[in-house]
Amino acid sequence: MENSQKFITQHLNFYYGEFKALEDISITINQNQVSALIGPSGCGKSTFLRCLNRMNDLIPGIRVKGSIRLDDEDIYAPSVDVVNLRRRVGMVFQKPNPFPKSIFENVAYGLRVNGIKNKKVLKQRVEKSLKQAALWDEVKDRINESALGLSGGQQQRLCIARALAVEPDVVLMDEPASALDPIATQKIEDLIHELKKKFTIIIVTHSMQQAARVSDITAFFYMGKLIETGDTETIFTRPALKQTEDYITGRFG
Amino acid sequence: MERHFIKELDALKMTLLNMAALTRRALEKATHAYLNRDEKEAQTVIDGDKEINDLELQVDNISLKLLALEQPMARDLRFIIGTTKISKELERIADQAVNIAQRSLFLCQHPPLHHIPSMERLMTIADNMLDAAISSFINEDFQQAIKVRQMDDMADKYTLEVLQTLVEYMVKSTPVAEKRLLNTNRSIQTIIISRCLERIGDLATNIGEHVAFIVKAINIKHQKIDFE
Ligand SMILES: Nc1ncnc2c1ncn2[C@@H]1O[C@H](COP(=O)(O)OP(=O)(O)O)[C@@H](O)[C@H]1O
Ligand SMILES: [Mg+2]
Repeated sequence: MENSQKFITQHLNFYYGEFKALEDISITINQNQVSALIGPSGCGKSTFLRCLNRMNDLIPGIRVKGSIRLDDEDIYAPSVDVVNLRRRVGMVFQKPNPFPKSIFENVAYGLRVNGIKNKKVLKQRVEKSLKQAALWDEVKDRINESALGLSGGQQQRLCIARALAVEPDVVLMDEPASALDPIATQKIEDLIHELKKKFTIIIVTHSMQQAARVSDITAFFYMGKLIETGDTETIFTRPALKQTEDYITGRFG
Repeated sequence: MERHFIKELDALKMTLLNMAALTRRALEKATHAYLNRDEKEAQTVIDGDKEINDLELQVDNISLKLLALEQPMARDLRFIIGTTKISKELERIADQAVNIAQRSLFLCQHPPLHHIPSMERLMTIADNMLDAAISSFINEDFQQAIKVRQMDDMADKYTLEVLQTLVEYMVKSTPVAEKRLLNTNRSIQTIIISRCLERIGDLATNIGEHVAFIVKAINIKHQKIDFE
């Protein structure tokens, strides 16, 4: 397995106005691995995730200090094309958020935004993405029906297909299974194992067990700081710091 | 509100401590029965073994349940794995105590051998090792846990001394064939007792190693560590 570095953040500080939501985060995210971000709610996991494709830019009053490099390129440099950055770094949210359109159009959306018009190419890419998201077999006969008719778990895999359609390098997932039932959750987790062969995945999860099951690397955040990061196996069997140990064994606060 | 899981962990710890107390008692009684040639006491060690075996099963059951239902992690995970390993060592120690008691029963049937000072030292060191191992578990004390195996050299030394003493005795023993048979028999039974004690030292060493793993997450088995 390749272990080349995908994202490197150095001394990253992030502010919502006066409020410092992230403090001095230095972390390396490797290619073709699943990295899980864990920590109590409000510790800055989502904020950190949104820094990686500059989704936070949409919020007024924010400030970013320090550096975030993607493939050794500073993503906050003035020359960076944010639309292209978000194509390379896709995102899946907690609640499945399909558009009130057909299954096909949901997946084709990003492709159209990126200027692909050729019908045949669109069809191929939609099918490929739905297969990658392990949804194709379930929807191939109703591809033109509304996405809103799908179950919650199917909708979430549709959103993953939508993110994959534009052929990103990295997929960010913010609690992607927290609104799903156990079986749908398991499908998402199995899917994550498959996807890491082609993509780099960073997942925020509030379920320690889920982090343990799906990730290669786990990073523990607390009050805006990165407390400890390491191999998932190490973090969950013999973390270096007592703070980490207390959190993952539920003896926190 | 105290977490349900923490209570269950405490219950597991109590079961193991109960087992440890009975095991230590079994060893003390077995050595006492040997030294005082007390058949009744030897028999209580043999009869008491079932209770220890039952507790081992109980530890296994609680551990299995907690692993399945609570999906413990980090220290909790190490604690549960470590506890099941320690219970296995205790069960073996208790078996060795039974073995000592059985040899003692035999020896009680015959006139005593001469006094062997190394045997008493060996009994003391085996008891000290077991005591230190159990205390290190109770106190979650890493230093104490690794001390156990440092005592093991002494246990080996005394075991060898017992062997040498009795081999010499057997060789020099009386020319009368009948008496020689009895002397050899008594000597060998006594040597077996020393072997049991030496094994108990090894098993107590293992317990110390499991405690080190629980407390510091490092596996000190088959390797020396810096500050030893
Ligand atoms: N848009 C925002 N404006 C101001 N503060 C925010 C905003 N979003 C999040 N925060 C604050 O930043 C901190 C980190 O939030 P967040 O990244 O959502 O944490 P997590 O995902 O770990 O639960 C919290 O204290 C939260 O209240
Ligand atoms: Mg969040």
